[in-house]
Amino acid sequence: MTKEKNIITNFIDGILFLDEKEELVLVNKKAEKFLNTSKKNILGKNLEELKKTGPLKEMLTNFSKKEVTINGKTIEASFINKKGLLIILRDITKEKMVKQMRNEFVSIVAHQLRTPISSIKWTLKMFLEESFGKINKEQEKYLEKVYTVNEKMVELINDLLNISRIEEGRYVYKPTATNLASLIEENIKQFKEKAKEKEINISFKKEGSCLEAVVDPEKIKLVLQNLIDNAIKYNDKGGSILIKLTSDKKNLTVSVKDTGLGIPKEQQKKIFSKFFRAKNVMKSDSEGSGLGLYINKEIIKAHKGKIWFQSVENKGTTFFFSLPLAKK
Amino acid sequence: MAKRILIIEDDQFLRELISKKLTAKDYEVIQAGDGEEGFEKVKKEKPDLLLLDLMLPGIDGFKVLEKIKADSEIAKTPVIILSNLGQKEDIDKGMNLGAQDFLIKAHFTPNQIIEKVNITLS
Repeated sequence: MTKEKNIITNFIDGILFLDEKEELVLVNKKAEKFLNTSKKNILGKNLEELKKTGPLKEMLTNFSKKEVTINGKTIEASFINKKGLLIILRDITKEKMVKQMRNEFVSIVAHQLRTPISSIKWTLKMFLEESFGKINKEQEKYLEKVYTVNEKMVELINDLLNISRIEEGRYVYKPTATNLASLIEENIKQFKEKAKEKEINISFKKEGSCLEAVVDPEKIKLVLQNLIDNAIKYNDKGGSILIKLTSDKKNLTVSVKDTGLGIPKEQQKKIFSKFFRAKNVMKSDSEGSGLGLYINKEIIKAHKGKIWFQSVENKGTTFFFSLPLAKK
Repeated sequence: MAKRILIIEDDQFLRELISKKLTAKDYEVIQAGDGEEGFEKVKKEKPDLLLLDLMLPGIDGFKVLEKIKADSEIAKTPVIILSNLGQKEDIDKGMNLGAQDFLIKAHFTPNQIIEKVNITLS
């Protein structure tokens, strides 16, 4: 036995190889074990036969990375299509379990945190409403400040809950045909006060006839909220925000353009990573959690859409996202 | 006569705060710290409205709501869920079981909660 053959036979992952004639010519021990079969049952068969029956049927419907459950184990199959088809099977049961436990943990912690945070919120508000007697101006000022800080905590917990749901893969809920224009208008209304404080003008333009997409409206609302909130937060005083909604034959595209800080070129790659915050933004504002854009990316991905941006430091940023149009 | 509101909430401090606020607005407040006690009090006291938490020791809020709606004597009691659960599934479940409203504690101030109570009772 050659060295190579030895390695393949005893490899920790399952390996299968179909040659250029699409005939299965190699199955290692681990693959036999994962598929709960014996070499002699599948070796020598061609792709069409394997697709029809047998343990590989489910796996071979298309050649994109996928997870299949066999005998209670979660097996991840990857495909390399180069001078034949190489299939690599990896047992990810443990990984999945750890991930699930982590998500459950985050979710429990976040829910548990909401109770004390609610009591802080309610107590502060009742002080401010003078339910416990008169307060003076200075007391009011500080209580207002603590209240704002506590509200940030509420938001952070919401973000953490959102993320744990996203990572469990059960986030998008009951998609329905939704008019994006009304969703945007509704959102702009919510940010009116906040924009006014910084003297920022928000305008909205829409073009195209069909402006409906099949989405989970709550989640797309959250995407818009995150983008508009950022566009205000990282804009200059007196700046502007332009929101555009356009459509072509296949997609709806929303863009949110600001005239603010921009994203430093060397950090643009990381902008959608969890907890990432650009350097210039960290200097100007200490409040963000670095979760908004990550949540946005995951939401848009779950809707089979795309999200991207263009940015020049000190000039501004435009975020875009596109979603498949609702089919009529 | 003052309208009577039952609060089923296991966190004593939250219960105290919202009771104070409701009392100040001339409501009469009855309290319960878990699901069993809460359901018994709905039957006995026949409140005009119920503020119901969901995560409770013993039987949870969903179950309490289900039991209320299945009991013709008290089925018409308006119920506002006041909980820190708040995923869409939870909200749908609560509303489908017959709640009038679903408020997430951390998202509402005491005044906003009173407002919802007023609206539901009017």
